[in-house]
Amino acid sequence: MKNTLVKSVCACAVALSTAAVGTTAAYAAEDSDITVVMIVKQSDPWFDDMTLGIEKLKEDLGINVYVQTPVSGDPSQQISIMENLISQKVDAICVVPNDPRALIPTIKKAREAGIKVVTHEAPDIADSVDLDVEAFRNEDFGKLYGDFLGEAMGGSGQYAGFVGGLTMTTHMAWYNAAVEQIKAKYPDMENISAEPYEDKNSLDQAYSRTVEILKAYPKIKGFFDCSVHGSAIAQALKDKKRTDVKVVSLAMPSTSANYLKDGSIYKGLAWRPADAGYATAYAAYLLVKGDGVASGTDLKAPGYEKVEVDNGIAYGYAPLVFTADNISDYNY
Amino acid sequence: MSFKIARSEGILLAIIAAYCAAVAVINPAFLNIDTLFDLIRTSSRDLILVMGLLLIMLSGGIDISFMAMALVGSYCATWLMMKIGWQSAAVLIPCAMLISTIMGLCNACLVSWLKLPAFIITLGTMNLFHGLMATLVGTRTFGGGILPPSFSAFGSATLFEIEGEYGAVGLTVSIIPVIIVVVLTWFIIYKTMLGRGIVAIGNDENSAIRLGFKPLYLRLFAYGYIGALAGLAGSIYICQVNAVYPDKMIGEELMVVAGAVIGGTSISGGKGKIFGAILGVIIIYLLKSTLIFLGLSASWNNFFVGIILVLSLSFTAWQEKVRNDRHLLFKVESR
Repeated sequence: MKNTLVKSVCACAVALSTAAVGTTAAYAAEDSDITVVMIVKQSDPWFDDMTLGIEKLKEDLGINVYVQTPVSGDPSQQISIMENLISQKVDAICVVPNDPRALIPTIKKAREAGIKVVTHEAPDIADSVDLDVEAFRNEDFGKLYGDFLGEAMGGSGQYAGFVGGLTMTTHMAWYNAAVEQIKAKYPDMENISAEPYEDKNSLDQAYSRTVEILKAYPKIKGFFDCSVHGSAIAQALKDKKRTDVKVVSLAMPSTSANYLKDGSIYKGLAWRPADAGYATAYAAYLLVKGDGVASGTDLKAPGYEKVEVDNGIAYGYAPLVFTADNISDYNY
Repeated sequence: MSFKIARSEGILLAIIAAYCAAVAVINPAFLNIDTLFDLIRTSSRDLILVMGLLLIMLSGGIDISFMAMALVGSYCATWLMMKIGWQSAAVLIPCAMLISTIMGLCNACLVSWLKLPAFIITLGTMNLFHGLMATLVGTRTFGGGILPPSFSAFGSATLFEIEGEYGAVGLTVSIIPVIIVVVLTWFIIYKTMLGRGIVAIGNDENSAIRLGFKPLYLRLFAYGYIGALAGLAGSIYICQVNAVYPDKMIGEELMVVAGAVIGGTSISGGKGKIFGAILGVIIIYLLKSTLIFLGLSASWNNFFVGIILVLSLSFTAWQEKVRNDRHLLFKVESR
């Protein structure tokens, strides 16, 4: 306690003196005075991994950065955490919004109070925040589905694609990019449906739809799933002993590891929450310092070494490809 | 009790047969033993639940918290087993059934004491049970990678398998609990005083009390029964999908209610048939699982299911009206 008091007095003195000299940094001249808070959606393996990234950033920079976790995935809890942080006058708030639009008024309030706000996975509200950080452009990520499925199927045969729901814009962007990529690169492959199938973000729906497709289109040779429920496709193929059919799916180690290991999922696509959290909070740190984030800025996390900034969104290129060999290295 | 098929059930069978024929004409791949086995596997959870729901609706009540009970029972049981380190699916089922039965008994007490519509009460308890689970136990997802292997072994187990032209075809073991529950429910309704009492309070509670029935005990049994079945159904479901999510199942209860109603179960109580309820659930699963055969894309899904549901409901309602008209002494023509 005494120690921190001494520290803060010193910091104030330093701040005052620098202000008196009239340098650019009006406050927070010392890194240790900068407070950046990351608000995640909820406590689950994904965001627990993101927390690891934030802890690493704290070690690397020595700034005061920590994670706040709502009890459940309810937007109102994120709002009340933000309100608290505004009254504490932190320097920057990073948030992975549950419902981006619902946060806009609170974000506005924070920015009026001089707090930098950086979002992750919320490109739709990029004009309301200081910066949005994305792991990749959706088109680039979607193309990987096409590349890997084509590779697995040897470039020919019937295939089908799933999304969580037709209204999920991210999934649809991946799906469309994947189909375009297959059309361009593997013209002998045939999509059995004009629209993606919906797995409704549920394993039993993915399972049932797969079983039906196998009967209606017995010659099918491949599936890709833009939601993480592709493991149910793999399970259905295993139950039906259709090991000739390949699967590429969004994947999480906790749900997909077994299927990747036994080969029933050919490749799993993902990105690393720890790195995304690190890059997002690092971007907030740069904004607080007044350094800004522009195309070419290094956010110091793998895949974010040279971000591309476009309309207030910083894109990294950080897709993570899971295979049978590397899946055991991850735990989220 | 004879096994004569009633008229309304005959109509449902005819609808099912006509629909299957239509699908088979468009896509002959539909006519395969595979289709039947898959239908049994995917519908077994709801076939079990609709038996409990039938008993509740016979008693003149309704319970829409059964999916919440199925989720909370199976989720808590799994959580507990992971804590203790038990591995067997044979432990999961009784644990889940016990937890869900307690929730069912709570419903019965509230319905009996508050004398409010059961719909409102169970709507409340649905959120209450789920909320209690989220705050006390947590909202962690248990994926296939960490669940005991016995879960998926049970969920994927088959009684026998046939090697087909395109992959294997197996009859799921979950047909055994389904058959046990159907037979048990039939026995309760038609062969026990308990069942007669439940039908009696569903028809007219005051007359039933005068006959000496005790509505509280009957409700305790009916709501406890659906609770136990919910635990069983939830356990089968999580073993089949090989994952436990803190937010699945809830939201699917109304399709089961629709299945019961299509099957001729009366919302106002006292009337309902086991075979009809089974057919009602089968129709819904049939509809949901044939879109791909018909070549319809996903955006048609809800529209199509909605249309067929409304049509078959109107058909059964019309049948009912025709039958009631026959009992009338005279009829006032409306202008």
